[in-house]
Amino acid sequence: MKKKIQVTLNGKKTELEVPSHRLLLDLLRDEIGLTGTKEGCGTGDCGACTVLLNGKPVNSCLIFSGELDGADIVTIEGLKIGPEMHPVQRAFVQDGGVQCGYCTSGMLMMSKALLDENPDPSEDDIRFAISGNLCRCTGYAKIVKAVQDAARELRNRRS
Amino acid sequence: MDNLTVVGKPVTRIDADEKVTGEAVYGYDLVLPNMVYGKVLFSPKAHAKIKRINTDKARQYPGVVAVVTGKDAPWIHGESIRDKPFLAQDKVRYIGEPVAAVAAVDEDTAEAAVRLIEVEYEDLPAYTSPEDAARMDAVAIHENFASYRKMPFITPGAGPNVCEHFKLRTGDVEQGFREADVVLEERYSVPIIQHAAMEPHSAHAQVDPTTGRVTIWVANDAPFRALHEITEALDVPKEQVRFINPLQGGGFGSKGGLKVEPVAVALAYKTNGRPVRVKFNREETFISTLTRHGAIVHVKSGVKKNGAITAREMTIYWNGGAYAEKSPTVCIRGSLPAPGPYRIPNVKVDGYAVYTNVPVAGSFRGYGIPQGAWAVEQHTDELARRLGMDPLAFRMQNVFADGDTAYWGEELHSVGLKETLQKAADAIEWGKKIDSMPGSRVKGLKIGKGLACIQKPTRSPTTSSAGVIVNAKGEASVLAGTVEIGQGCNTILCQIAAEELKMPFDKVRSASLDTDVIPYDASTTSSRSTYHMGNAVKGAAIDAREKLAVLAAPMLEAKKEELAFADGKIFLKHQPEMALTVGEVVRRKFGPEGTVRGDASYTYELAKDLDLETGHSDNASAFYMYATQAAVIAVDEETGRARLLRMAAAHDVGKAINPLNCAAQIEGGLAMGIGSALHEHLVIDQNGKVRNPSFLDYHLVTALDLPEMIPIIVECPEPQGPYGAKGLGEPGLAPTPAAIGNAVADAIGARVYDLPLSPERIFWVIQEKKKGKAA
Repeated sequence: MKKKIQVTLNGKKTELEVPSHRLLLDLLRDEIGLTGTKEGCGTGDCGACTVLLNGKPVNSCLIFSGELDGADIVTIEGLKIGPEMHPVQRAFVQDGGVQCGYCTSGMLMMSKALLDENPDPSEDDIRFAISGNLCRCTGYAKIVKAVQDAARELRNRRS
Repeated sequence: MDNLTVVGKPVTRIDADEKVTGEAVYGYDLVLPNMVYGKVLFSPKAHAKIKRINTDKARQYPGVVAVVTGKDAPWIHGESIRDKPFLAQDKVRYIGEPVAAVAAVDEDTAEAAVRLIEVEYEDLPAYTSPEDAARMDAVAIHENFASYRKMPFITPGAGPNVCEHFKLRTGDVEQGFREADVVLEERYSVPIIQHAAMEPHSAHAQVDPTTGRVTIWVANDAPFRALHEITEALDVPKEQVRFINPLQGGGFGSKGGLKVEPVAVALAYKTNGRPVRVKFNREETFISTLTRHGAIVHVKSGVKKNGAITAREMTIYWNGGAYAEKSPTVCIRGSLPAPGPYRIPNVKVDGYAVYTNVPVAGSFRGYGIPQGAWAVEQHTDELARRLGMDPLAFRMQNVFADGDTAYWGEELHSVGLKETLQKAADAIEWGKKIDSMPGSRVKGLKIGKGLACIQKPTRSPTTSSAGVIVNAKGEASVLAGTVEIGQGCNTILCQIAAEELKMPFDKVRSASLDTDVIPYDASTTSSRSTYHMGNAVKGAAIDAREKLAVLAAPMLEAKKEELAFADGKIFLKHQPEMALTVGEVVRRKFGPEGTVRGDASYTYELAKDLDLETGHSDNASAFYMYATQAAVIAVDEETGRARLLRMAAAHDVGKAINPLNCAAQIEGGLAMGIGSALHEHLVIDQNGKVRNPSFLDYHLVTALDLPEMIPIIVECPEPQGPYGAKGLGEPGLAPTPAAIGNAVADAIGARVYDLPLSPERIFWVIQEKKKGKAA
């Protein structure tokens, strides 16, 4: 059964008519065409599909569209600040935090959520925050460094 | 070499921007106009005859466009042995084998229709262990094996399920054992694991209804080899098939060969020109794509009191799964150097690639080296212990060095092994006893150190071809068939092109991969790309540069020999102000849309095939990679839990084209190796069913599971490599489990012979030791 919902998607008010059982991941990828959010498992185990739902990181493969009326959703396509890359995106590029890139969208959204909540995370904080985001390429070391560098950059901007 | 401007620099990846913004389109993301959606019916039986298939209900289901079974797709493919049907023919050989498929207007319809297909099976005996399946009296999994088409180097074994029997024969091992003061015989095992690239598998296919031409969009790591395999199976000319490579979300060997592709093609023949998309979800990827060979490794060695190794005998059973895929070549190239990088006068190896009724094993980063290293590198420590020697000193005494002749008959050069041993050992303060690590909460735990080293050949001989196109804007495009699977090849190849064209790095980009227009490349495997494709791209860039010089000479009123290139410009050597930009030269000659193209091919022509009886070759590989890794571990004797504190990895890369990328490759390899050491295991029960086909149950390493990692780059140049480069991608995980195994043995005073080093396994070894049973 289709349901009309109104959401804010990457800052824009958007009206959608979707089957209630459609998963947010499929809604984004198949119906809206935002394929930056990745499917790695479809069962909430890998974090590749992480998006921000009302400011909190969620596995979009576990969220039914029917629950979304009034929600604020930010995907990787909404992470840029205007034309500028978010500092965490830039840090992933600079520090070599990207290899195949398939986990990157989810990893970045999780990192942004961490930095929104904790501007000065320790290495342990970062590792804990991204421990639900699997990466098969990097061994995480350069990702952790990138999040540290992004945190520093964001703090510098604020001060 | 000191005047290099781009090569050797840690430039950032050229593909990073599109990946951090979500703009990159992967195979799994691809949407084609008017496409239909495929779903597969997988075999629930490990080994059974198909008595009957009824697809009537599925065909009548509203929204279904096509239903196919083996009868509709009577094609058989295989890289070295043609044994694998597009869809099961008459029988199934593993749980997860595609039996039938449906294409429909959407995924939900296809899935519903697939469930309506009825199949009746008659069970046959199933094998999960390669040792059982290799027996002479085993039931044949492939009754018609003798009539299959095979590559000339295939030497099947005596038992009905041994698809390859590799033999290495050097000296006389019995004589060697008689000369030894200590003889040690052990058995090790490695379980089946999976690549688990973060992007699941998928393929899109379309058949032009007029011409019959097939186009396949798939993230395959060897599109030219896949094209060969599929045209051979379909019995059509190569021109009738085209592969287009979307971006690939990781591979590690899993995305070579043909997995989803045959199903997509079988459906595409029945959809009247509409493209078909077949996506495997994670569970389907676990059960129906490829795995890494489980292996059982028997090793026996003789050593003298002075530390010399007199003989080594090995028998290795490789669990190939239901179809040969790359099992013969994994068996050959994994068994050949399995005795390790040591001077041993008498060596005998028998490697058996064995059909079983489990998912198909394919290439996996390391290509047979990790399995041998798990056994031999721990065996090496056990030998050292029995001789009362330090394991590092024992290795230093016996490892290959420049000028040594390896036991397969090849004189070695550019051997950076000793330097990797020393640097990895130094990084963990080898020889310094520690009871606790500063800053960690490991008091009271048993701490151990271990190291392991490897040598890895690359697939030889092979060919890479490349083109480099320079346009009138002063930009260059690299046409190379190397697939960007995350390893950073596009960045490396653009660095090489920029270096030779003397152009700014940010003006050089990679063309996307389409077999219609991109020159041939053998495969993105075997850590061969930087060396082979690097040489090809270097040659193509030099070719383009020469052509540009010929064009520029009259424009600058000079002889070609008087010209030099730098920073995107061509100028007179003795009058640098007389200069033109590269783009201007192209524009003046051919107009604003003009281009100049350079081309080159590289083949390592000196390689010689292994002798089928002795395994010998005096030139088996274009180059060899060397690496040593060292581990510090803390083991909780109460629980058996092992926690890594530090890992150092020293890799001889010849020349680091991009040190940042080299470090990234080493760290990624280490993490994968650590996972395979401590917890990865595709659990397959006695009925052939995968019990953990999800990321919840198949434990990949997370950010919390890893220790401090120290990547160390050693540069022992390879004369024929571009700028001295060798390869790096695969060795990253090869010595890791053995280094960790040696550290565990050092910590608890007893050895674990089977992977993974789970707490339970370590716990029981500790209990056995306490009872005084373990050695």
